[in-house]
Amino acid sequence: MELDSLKYIWQTLEVPPTGEDNHRQILALIQKRSAGPLAKMRRNLYMEVALIIALYIPSILLYFLLFQGRLAGIGWLFFGILLLFTGYFYRKNRLLKEMQCVGCRVRSNLQRQVRTLTKYTRFYILTGTLLIPFMALCSYLIVRWKYPPAPGAALFHQLSRSPWWQNSLFLLIPLALITVGIYYANVWYVGKLYGRHIKKLQDLLREMDGD
Amino acid sequence: MLHKVCRLYCYDEHDRQDLFQEIIVQLWRSYPGFRGESKFSTWLYRIALNTAISDLRRQKRRTTPLDPDQIPTYFQDIRYGAEEEDQLQQLYAAIERLTEVEKALVMLYLEDKSYDEMEEILGINQNNLRVKMNRIKEKLRKITKEAAYGTR
Repeated sequence: MELDSLKYIWQTLEVPPTGEDNHRQILALIQKRSAGPLAKMRRNLYMEVALIIALYIPSILLYFLLFQGRLAGIGWLFFGILLLFTGYFYRKNRLLKEMQCVGCRVRSNLQRQVRTLTKYTRFYILTGTLLIPFMALCSYLIVRWKYPPAPGAALFHQLSRSPWWQNSLFLLIPLALITVGIYYANVWYVGKLYGRHIKKLQDLLREMDGD
Repeated sequence: MLHKVCRLYCYDEHDRQDLFQEIIVQLWRSYPGFRGESKFSTWLYRIALNTAISDLRRQKRRTTPLDPDQIPTYFQDIRYGAEEEDQLQQLYAAIERLTEVEKALVMLYLEDKSYDEMEEILGINQNNLRVKMNRIKEKLRKITKEAAYGTR
């Protein structure tokens, strides 16, 4: 089979002229939501936003309004975390917006996708890893601040008598181990979500660049 | 043209419809950003090929057959004479074994695009394009030969 001999058949391979019915079908297609991977990632991000709002706003209100305002500090802390989440979602959304340029040349679009998706996964791993130790440290500070150790409580009593650095060390060693574990879990999960996609895009780029 | 891209990148009707829909959605969304810096047809090919190549998850085969009555009219292939039909089927079968980039090149070649235009669409330099095109032709010849021997 010679490719050149098929050109004529290929070029005359046309679908029937579009009628009123087909126009309606195409209009219906435009109304549908995109099923592409990027659109799915964006929808997942919106779901994350909704989940965080649903979890944090009631908690913040709870600490501000109940306990006669004595635990408002925890409310402020949660509010701070919510602000950090805002930055996190903003960054992720910006990366998603930058990820694709379908009107660009195919090669530059692929390069852009690989670059942005790599940044996206790095950010995902970094924030996913730091979130748990950050929350643990915040909880520790809250407990130390709002609930000072009672003399009768053996563990807290001993901790309160020891120097502050021993106290912190006691917390930091398991926290560091947990963080390392979380890091590898995140690397595995992100690799499972996007690893194959990135590899395939890189292979396509290599193929395009190769002579 | 969009149907041809869908036909090259997807092997069953369901996937073809999904890809067609995705290309239409991308065209609709990207049109306000079209500044006329390239020819409209070049831009159209870029959108179609970018969508088809990047959307890798769609490229897996489905096994569930689709009811022909559910296929929209714009997807019903035009019928040719037996010999032409046979050649086209051979072409599709051979193209199935090409990579995504090779499919894009074949598509543009069959559309009689110049190497200038191919470079504008794909972003691969012309020397590289020529080398690749020769290799693809050779590969297609080999695939067709193998298929012919296999059927004897």
